[in-house]
Amino acid sequence: MDGKLLSDTFVELTDTMVVGFDVIDFMHMLTNRSVQLLDVSAAGLLLADPRGELRVVAASSEAARLLELFQIQNDEGPCLECFRSGQPVQVADLTALAHRWPQFAPAAGRAGFRAVQALPMRLREQVIGALNLFRTAPGTFDTADIRVGQALADVATISLLQERNMRHSDTLNEQLQTALNSRVIIEQAKGKLAERLGVDMDQAFSLLRESARTSNRRLSDLAQAFVDGTDALAGLNPAGAQPRPAAPRPPRRPGS
Amino acid sequence: MTDSRSARVWSLVAAQAARHGGPVSAADACVAAVAAVDVTGAWLIAARGAEPGHLMRVTDKASELLAELQVTLGEGPGRDAAASGGPVLASDLDETEAVRRWPAFAPAAREAGAAAIFAFPLQLGAIRTGVMSLYRVRSGPLSAFQLGDALIFADTATLLLLDAQGHPARAAGSARAGPGGQPANLTRHRAEIDQATGMLTEQLGVGIAEAFIRLRAYAYAHDRGLSDLARDIVARRLRLPSDPDPRKDAQA
Repeated sequence: MDGKLLSDTFVELTDTMVVGFDVIDFMHMLTNRSVQLLDVSAAGLLLADPRGELRVVAASSEAARLLELFQIQNDEGPCLECFRSGQPVQVADLTALAHRWPQFAPAAGRAGFRAVQALPMRLREQVIGALNLFRTAPGTFDTADIRVGQALADVATISLLQERNMRHSDTLNEQLQTALNSRVIIEQAKGKLAERLGVDMDQAFSLLRESARTSNRRLSDLAQAFVDGTDALAGLNPAGAQPRPAAPRPPRRPGS
Repeated sequence: MTDSRSARVWSLVAAQAARHGGPVSAADACVAAVAAVDVTGAWLIAARGAEPGHLMRVTDKASELLAELQVTLGEGPGRDAAASGGPVLASDLDETEAVRRWPAFAPAAREAGAAAIFAFPLQLGAIRTGVMSLYRVRSGPLSAFQLGDALIFADTATLLLLDAQGHPARAAGSARAGPGGQPANLTRHRAEIDQATGMLTEQLGVGIAEAFIRLRAYAYAHDRGLSDLARDIVARRLRLPSDPDPRKDAQA
């Protein structure tokens, strides 16, 4: 493992948690860093919605996102088992365990993955989600990789308790719901930007993140302003695309 | 599991509407939540776009008072929920944190009889339609199960408010919702639906709430699943007509 990249990552993670913190952006970065740091090819992060279902909040690639979604939809797979038991689940060779997950194993194979390591996100006695690492080659995962992976999963858990007092289960639930709704706002903004600039969803996401970074704003605030039409993101103009101006609209903020 | 759960919530809301014989509305979700989540009372503020919200429903005298207090004092869990876009769960209004956060409202709410208030924004991403607040005379957090139910009641209220916006004349007459006869399960919401909704704001030149209403109306009129339709839009295989005839989907 690259020691410098590891220390850089932790510095970056703590920096991000201090100013302009955005849970979704943070978790997205975590999945990307997992891939760069560890000997894995993709990573995905699931969180439990109190409504009674797991939701994909971040993934390092579209293939990983779809595979996480597949497990949720079909109610089987190592990531779900990890979440339910609260224990890590390692699968060194998925093809050898096709009988255990008759739907998931072949789907993972089609996506190009052969090995999985699922790590629980725990807060005291509660399991709130899982960080899942996928590899294209079969084989056991390196112990040091697993330890760093678990540390990254723990940092993701702590990030949900940011900004507020940790004593309350209330706080975790508030932050979790806000994060899940942010995910929706960001998807809406991606759709709007993709349509406006004629780019695909991944490009739209990169542009939104870039813009949030440049303007030092939280990704979800920027996405909300863009969807509301209070910020046209006029600076975003990838080569060749001709954005149409947004009709200015007042912010949507219900009074109470 | 979640599907049957939202079906159960929906049947409670529909049963509440049947009691007064009118069409199902967000107010029914507010009333039905009281017994289901085991709280003392509830109130619902409907807000559309930048318009100031209006108090759509209160279930008792205390909840009316609590709603008024937030307006008068300009602070409270409901206002914070609207501003932050996340629920505000104040399980003990006597706690120092609650008093520090709402120095005027917290003691006044105690006086009015509330020991705990749980406020849920009625939202779907950037679409915001109001706030539903629940209160209890005793302090203590909602159980994990009650919280899940409260969120599903809030989702249901959100869809019913959007239905009423989309079809003001019929005011969600049949409580028509998704093709399944009940509101689409927001938990099962896929990223493609949100992306398609965002795309429609540009294609149709409308706001995000209207874009979602049009998407659902189209799915309903053409008897298609929302996710399925959204996938076609995201893949740019389908564009929705920019000026739909509302009568057309009424017949469908």
